[in-house]
Amino acid sequence: MSELLQSRAAIEEFLYREAELLDDWRLPEWAELFTDDARYDIASLDSEDPAKADPATSLFVLADDKTRIVSRAKRLMKKTAHAEYPHSKTRHITGNVRLGEIQGNERAVRANFVVYRTKGDKTVQYMGEAHYLLVANDGAIRIRRKRCNLDLNTLADQGRLTIIL
Amino acid sequence: MADQAIRDRKLVHIDQPKGRFRVHRDAFRSAEIFAVEKELIFAKCWLYLGHVSELRNKGDYLARTVGGRDLIFIRSRAGELVAVFNTCAHRGARVCREKRGNAKNFSCPYHGWVYNTEGKLLSMNAERGFPQDINADGSLNLRRVPRLEEYRGFYFVSFDPDAISLSAYLADAKGFLDVMCDQAEGEIEVLPGEHAYSIGANYKLLCENSYDGYHLLPTHISYLEFLDERNQASGADSAVAFMLKQYAKQGRARGLGHGHAALESWVPTGRPVAQWVPAWGPEIKQEIEATRARLEQKFGKERAELIADVQKNMVIFPNLVINDNVGFTLRVIEPTGPSSMRVNAWAFAPVSESPRLRALRLDNFVSFLGPAGFGSADDVEMLELCQRGLDHAPLEWNELSKGMNGEGDPRTQECGPDDEGQMRAYWAQWDLMMRGASAFSGS
Repeated sequence: MSELLQSRAAIEEFLYREAELLDDWRLPEWAELFTDDARYDIASLDSEDPAKADPATSLFVLADDKTRIVSRAKRLMKKTAHAEYPHSKTRHITGNVRLGEIQGNERAVRANFVVYRTKGDKTVQYMGEAHYLLVANDGAIRIRRKRCNLDLNTLADQGRLTIIL
Repeated sequence: MADQAIRDRKLVHIDQPKGRFRVHRDAFRSAEIFAVEKELIFAKCWLYLGHVSELRNKGDYLARTVGGRDLIFIRSRAGELVAVFNTCAHRGARVCREKRGNAKNFSCPYHGWVYNTEGKLLSMNAERGFPQDINADGSLNLRRVPRLEEYRGFYFVSFDPDAISLSAYLADAKGFLDVMCDQAEGEIEVLPGEHAYSIGANYKLLCENSYDGYHLLPTHISYLEFLDERNQASGADSAVAFMLKQYAKQGRARGLGHGHAALESWVPTGRPVAQWVPAWGPEIKQEIEATRARLEQKFGKERAELIADVQKNMVIFPNLVINDNVGFTLRVIEPTGPSSMRVNAWAFAPVSESPRLRALRLDNFVSFLGPAGFGSADDVEMLELCQRGLDHAPLEWNELSKGMNGEGDPRTQECGPDDEGQMRAYWAQWDLMMRGASAFSGS
């Protein structure tokens, strides 16, 4: 059992650091926060139970394994990732962090989030609950699973979801 | 009545001898033209409502907005599929507030009028005050949409009681739908989940984009690089470089009549039915190749190739996209103004597909498609850049001349996969309808 995962302060610090990497567009570093068997998922916004939805049987908005997490980060840094050129300004606000039971070297953590995205003169927001499965590996916290359940029914206001939540 | 001045405008300029095809930019930005489109196109054409697999049980329903009208699509308790307007005959309230579900009846939350699943008024929630025979003619039932017809399980409505049949309307698009549906050894179904988003652009820009082979390289180079890296990681050659060399030499785009058109092209994304790529690993190769072999046996080599290898992008006039490429997707484009639209997209799959192919299909779908995909979002950016450019410069014409060839009706011509004949087919139909000219054959 890892001491790191027992510490609320260490877990919160980790989540804040993740948010900072995203807001600073240090996306390849962000991708390194994930374990090799990691997943980053966002279920369909009309899913009745987004926490339980399965990307193998229903259409997700985003369903990345580690390879695609890395590819997503890499692609978004290119000028040819047109939807994010010029890069949006983003601000990730993470709060209401709730710690689950520690099981082995893993701990489930839930947090509320609001992400503001500004492109051109338009600002939109993405809000919801993030479900993490964190793992302590070699003295560092890593993400094994991250699923963002959005409190949205459609992306009518946001249009697209090209930033990372 | 449509404003005659708009009907008389020449918004589509075709000069076949000079090989020029131009569309006036007001078609993308004018509120007056948009109002006429609603009257002369959206109130006349067949518009997609839903798929039979979404209403499996008696009482199942979907609330959808189609061509600006709120509808309920219901499998009645008697088992019949019906489409009604989602508004109480009494004072107008929406009677169905959920997006989907199963109902014994529909009851208006305002004064408690109750309708059965066929739309028949059962109760006015009043013991006195109304004439006994007030609904003798059925005029207080939920109003049926004038026309509801289907082709291979795809249900369409028309608000024009005199519209030609859906079958005649779809023209050669039917044959193309057949090819897509024939990938299933049995029925196809809509999978759970949807992509619902908005785009700040005229709806026709997305129609044009949805089967545009010309934009593939500049717009989607970052997706192609992703594909290439994935291939190379699995030890395969650069299939993408090969494809780019071959792209314009294989495939074609062609008009299917009545403004519908399709693009057939080769892009090595891999397809569960039935094109294996090395990135998917050797375990699944056998299953995909077995499917392919069965297709060849059933349909012959040529049709099997069309089903399995060819990427198919089709636009059914005026606002429906059915693509079978990186995924099998249906996309409804709902205009919300001259420079804005809502998009709803779903994933289709063969019902009998194995769990691992299903998972692969869905994974492939979201890699490119949808608001977080590596492809669609960049398309959206292009459309919004177009709208911005069209709205903010006093220029007159868009140029859609690439691959113009020959005389005849642009609605049934063929051209190369990176030409623009498919858009010309669309615009030729649009032009006829906007001028109130005869635009349909068949009945």
